[in-house]
This record gives sequence, structure tokens and C-alpha cells, in this order.
Amino acid sequence: MSLLLKLALAAGASVFLATVQAAPATPGVTDREIVVGTISDLSGPIALLGVPVRDGLLMRFDEANAAGGVHGRKIRLVVEDSGYDPKRAVLAARKLVQRDQAFAFIADMGTPVVMASMPVIVDAGRLHLFPFSPHESTYLPLHPLKFQNFAPYQTYMEAATRHMVQAHGYQRSCLLYQDDDYGLEVMKGVEAALGKLGRPLVDKTSYKRGATDLSSQVARLRGAGCDFVVLATVVRETVAAMSEARRIGWKVDMLVTASGYSAQTHELGGAAVEGLYGVSVLPHPYAEGANKQLADWIQRYRKRYGVDPNVWSVMGYTLADMFVHTAEAAGPQLTIDGFARTLEKFDFTRDYFGSPEYRFSPTDHLGNRYGRLAQIRNGKWELISDYLK
Amino acid sequence: MTRTVRWRSVLSSAALLGLAILAFGADHALSQATLVATYALAGLGVVVVVGQAGQIALGQAALVGLGAYTEALLVSASVPSLLAIPVAAATAAAGGALASLPARRLGGLYFGMSTLAFALIVEEALVRWEPVTRGAAGLAVPALQLAGQAVDAPASQALVSVAALIGAMLLCARLFDSRLGRAWRAVREDEVAADACGIDPVRAKLLAFVVGGALSGVAGALYAHWIGFISPEQFGLMFSFELLMLAFIGGAQRLAGAAWGALVIVAIPQAISVLRDALPGELARSAGLETVVFGAVIVAVVLLRPRGLAGGR
Repeated sequence: MSLLLKLALAAGASVFLATVQAAPATPGVTDREIVVGTISDLSGPIALLGVPVRDGLLMRFDEANAAGGVHGRKIRLVVEDSGYDPKRAVLAARKLVQRDQAFAFIADMGTPVVMASMPVIVDAGRLHLFPFSPHESTYLPLHPLKFQNFAPYQTYMEAATRHMVQAHGYQRSCLLYQDDDYGLEVMKGVEAALGKLGRPLVDKTSYKRGATDLSSQVARLRGAGCDFVVLATVVRETVAAMSEARRIGWKVDMLVTASGYSAQTHELGGAAVEGLYGVSVLPHPYAEGANKQLADWIQRYRKRYGVDPNVWSVMGYTLADMFVHTAEAAGPQLTIDGFARTLEKFDFTRDYFGSPEYRFSPTDHLGNRYGRLAQIRNGKWELISDYLK
Repeated sequence: MTRTVRWRSVLSSAALLGLAILAFGADHALSQATLVATYALAGLGVVVVVGQAGQIALGQAALVGLGAYTEALLVSASVPSLLAIPVAAATAAAGGALASLPARRLGGLYFGMSTLAFALIVEEALVRWEPVTRGAAGLAVPALQLAGQAVDAPASQALVSVAALIGAMLLCARLFDSRLGRAWRAVREDEVAADACGIDPVRAKLLAFVVGGALSGVAGALYAHWIGFISPEQFGLMFSFELLMLAFIGGAQRLAGAAWGALVIVAIPQAISVLRDALPGELARSAGLETVVFGAVIVAVVLLRPRGLAGGR
């Protein structure tokens, strides 16, 4: 028998074995461990977010394990790097479902990645928890396995814009937006807010992702006589827009979404971004002025990773914390359905990070819809409102 | 291809699949087989244009995108998949013809740059034509329907992809042996000499892009169904370079090059990911480890097999 024929026969046998292998009662749950999967971006365009989120998740799970685990079971996080590539995400989801037998997926990152991998995950009957994607299909229509924590941009930007216009009496509101789904989501929120107040969106202008020169857009908005500009930008473009406005002597109020609410914004922008308003869905963890619990947490994070935590680290940690608490409340007989039904009844109160309340119900799997306002004052973000409802 | 060689290929493919199933599990391995075959189909387009006709194609992903979007839009308008796939191939072939037009006046790298510009225009058009394509928000694509059955299981998806790839490879083998195939190779080797021999280089290049576009269009149509969600950014320059890399790793001048290249591009990162799980704590958690190792593998392949895996030493 030739070697190739032997290999082919071995292949046939392995297919048979793979088919007849018995699945455990609850995938990913044994007496000793719970396997949790995450498909993140550790090497692609949003790796700057993916790495601290993963670090936050790992830190909280390791703390839970050090404290004895959840009902005696250690949590094992299996991290897959999609590089923001949907093809790799589909394969990563298959690996986590079949090879690692992941009980749940947590904090998967990026809309194309989430949209491509989510069907694989829920069709396999696994939990799809708190993905970093504003897409509505992550929680609607209601699905027993899908839970989302992050409000769509449209929802919280509507509240933030309305609050700003009412509080400051702006007459000529404008929008500078990234020319993609993110920018369009924000535009819908801004238009809805102004519509409710009976005011027009005086002007709007876009830029292509990655643009660094926004001088023509800023000149156009100045020419339109805007007294308030909403920025659907990320960090670099936020700094570019504010710097350009200040350079030409235009002192207009600007409000950026949570995507621009980052320590990098004031670190890069310096004096030019002083006074910028932003929307925060979780506060940045500054060591200065931190409460005792937060200060301890920052110390532990620094000791473990050798860098300061940022808002993304807090998000990862918070999501893992929600998982741990829900798994504990679900009891020692952990099942996927039991976890999901427990999460539907769970109220997560505000914590030392300054997070909002997260609340799910059997008819609503979006845990939070609100953001709060912050402003850069003296080189750091200061919270200036509570969560806007 | 002799009968022995053909059997050897079939047996080695079966052995590879079996080993993959053993290593990854059935669904995971079959999903990889699906994507390997789909990428190989798209890579065949590059083999035709770059390997056979000797043209620089830096925007092949745009043709895959045209196929994917045509398929998604037609299926969402209730057009049967079996009818939609040929239309997707025709749209991408037309795109290929359009992309080849600058070849009448440009050559070499300058023509390559024009294909790059074509890809940028297609990506931008997909973003801007929002009423139809839903712009950057993307489109959800339902499962492929064949004979009233949804092709949504890993095994059936792999079967369809591999069947499509085999069909395309047989078609290409016939083409490469035909008068047109010889014309492509003549143009690749020396355009002026080919012209002097009575070959119309412009027509040969146009047909290479049409055939390459059609192959990539079919791949795009299948890709849309397998991934289930398409957005313009998925068909950007990164994907074009990935396809080009695929062809060169596999062997751009060989038919089997596309399949070998796709295997490296799709399956090696998965194998690295599985091996990484066996590494100790902090090393396993290093960000971008797969990318670094994958890069090293690519460099090794290029150094050790400069003519591609299918091209010999």
C-alpha cells in the first residue's frame, strides 16, 4: 500500500472519528474550567483598542481564578486574532466552537468581524456577549444568545447633541463626519436631536478614513457660520479638526463621539484640544484624583502590563467582571441557557470605574443606551454631566 | 496531466484534508477547505493575468468585490443563485475588460498603477452608491441556495467550493493549452515579438483580464455567501495584495499555484494559531504573534521556492 493511500485511509478514519465524537453536556464547561473565546484585533487597524481590551479581560479572569474560580471552575480565555479580517474571523469562530469548545464568546471586535462570525457562533448554540460593534443586529431582533452592552452611536449622540444645544443655546449646528457606517450612524443621531428641537443641521461635511488634512472641511464649516460642530471622528482626525480651527482663529465649540474620547486626544492635541467636549460611555481611568479602589486597580494593571490602563482596558475588565458575576449567579450547574436567563435578570450597578448601570431583561438584550458628557480641561478629560437619558 | 499524477493529487488532497480534520476538527477543517478553494478560485484570476499574460494586476480584489456585490444584490432581489453566479462572473469580467483598457497605451508598472486606480475607484463607488450597496454599512448575504437547499453546512460549502475550483481549473487547463493560452505566454515573454508573429497583444491582454475577472467574480459570489456580510473595505488594496502574494507563493505560472498559494494564505495562519495555544503563558498572549510567524513563513517560502510552491526550485 502506498504512503499516499495510507494517508488517505487515515483521513477517512479521522473524518469518521470526528463525526462520532460525543459532545460534552455543556460545551466548554467541565468540573475544572469554563472556556471563553474572544475574536479580537491584535495586529490589524484597530489593534490599539484590541490589545488593552484583551488585557482587561485577562486581568479580571485571572483575578477570579486566583480567588478560587467560579464555583470551583477556572475561566480560560482563548484569544484569537482576526486582524480585522472577516475570513480569519469565521475560521477563528469555527476553531473556538469546535476545537476549544468555547462556552461563550465575549468582546469580539469590529463590525465586519462580528457580522461574519456571529452566525457561526449562535448557530452552534454559543453565547455571543458584548461585541465591539455598533451594529443593531448584535441585539435585534431579540435572540436568546445575543447580548450587547454598547449603545449604537445614534442613540447616545442624539441625547448628547440635544443636551448641548439646549444647554448652550447653539443656533447653527454642523457636523464633520467620517465617510463610513460610523459617520452615518452619528449623523442620524445628530439629525434626530436637532429634529426634536426644531432646528436644522446647518451644514455637514465628510472626510475619508485616514485623512490627516481637514483644512478644507473646517474652512467650509466656518464659512457656513457654525457655532457648534459635532465630530464623528476618531482620535487623529479630532486633533486635526480642533488644531485647524484654532490655527485659523475660529473659537467654535466641538463635541466628539466616544471614539474620540481617549487620553490620546489630549496627549496628541495638547493646548489645541483644550475645551473640546466629548461623550464618554465609560470614564478614562486617571490615576490622579482616583478613588482608592480605582487607584489600586491602576496599580495592579501597571504592575502586570508595565503600561498605564486606558478606557479600553476598563471596558475589557468590566465585561469580564460581568461574565464572572453572571456565571456565579447562574449556580454550579452552569448551562448556556441558564447563563443567558440569569443575565436577563441581572442588574449591574455602577462601580468604582464610574460605569453606567447595565440592565438586561427577557425582552431587551441591550444593556446600556446612555453616554455622559466630558470636556478637556487642563489637559485631561473631566466629566461634566451624569449619563444622559 | 497523466492519470497517475492526477490520482496522486487527489490522494494528497484527501490526506491533507484528513490531517486537517484530525488537527482542527471537522467543521473547522472543512471551513478552511471552503475558503482555500474560494481563494484559489480568485487566485486563478491572478494566475491568468499575471502568470500567463504577464501583466501587473494590483486591483484583483475589486473584481472579486464586483462579483460579491452583484451576487448579494441579485440574491436579495430573489434571483436564484444559479442564475446570479453567472451574472456575477459576467459583471466582474466586464470590470476586468474595463481595467484592461489602459493596457492599449500603458505597459509595465504604469499599467499596474492604472489597475490600482481602478480598484480604488470600484471601492469608492461601492461606498458612494449607497442607495444600492448600502455604502460602508455593508450588506448581509443569505446562504447559497442550490436546488431549494441552503448550502450553510461546512461540508456542503466545501463541496461547492471545491467543485467550482476543479471546474475552473479544468477550464483554465484547456485555455492554457489553446491558441489563446499560447498567445498570452507569447505576450508575457516578448510583446513586440508576439506582435510581429501576428498575435494581437491588446486583444490577448483584454481576454486575460476578462477570463481573470470572471474567475474572480465567481469567487466573489461564493465568498459573499460563505462570509455572510460584505462591505467595501473587505475588497480593498490589502485583499488585492493578498491575492498577488497568493499567486507568487503558489507559483504564478502554474495552474496548481493558486491552490498552493491559497493553502498557505488561508490555512497557515490557522495552523499557527493552533500551535500558539501550546506555547507557555505570556508568549502565547503576544499580540500579533501569528502575523510575525506568518511573515517569516512567507519569506522562507520565497527564499526556498522562488518560483512558487508549484513551480519547482
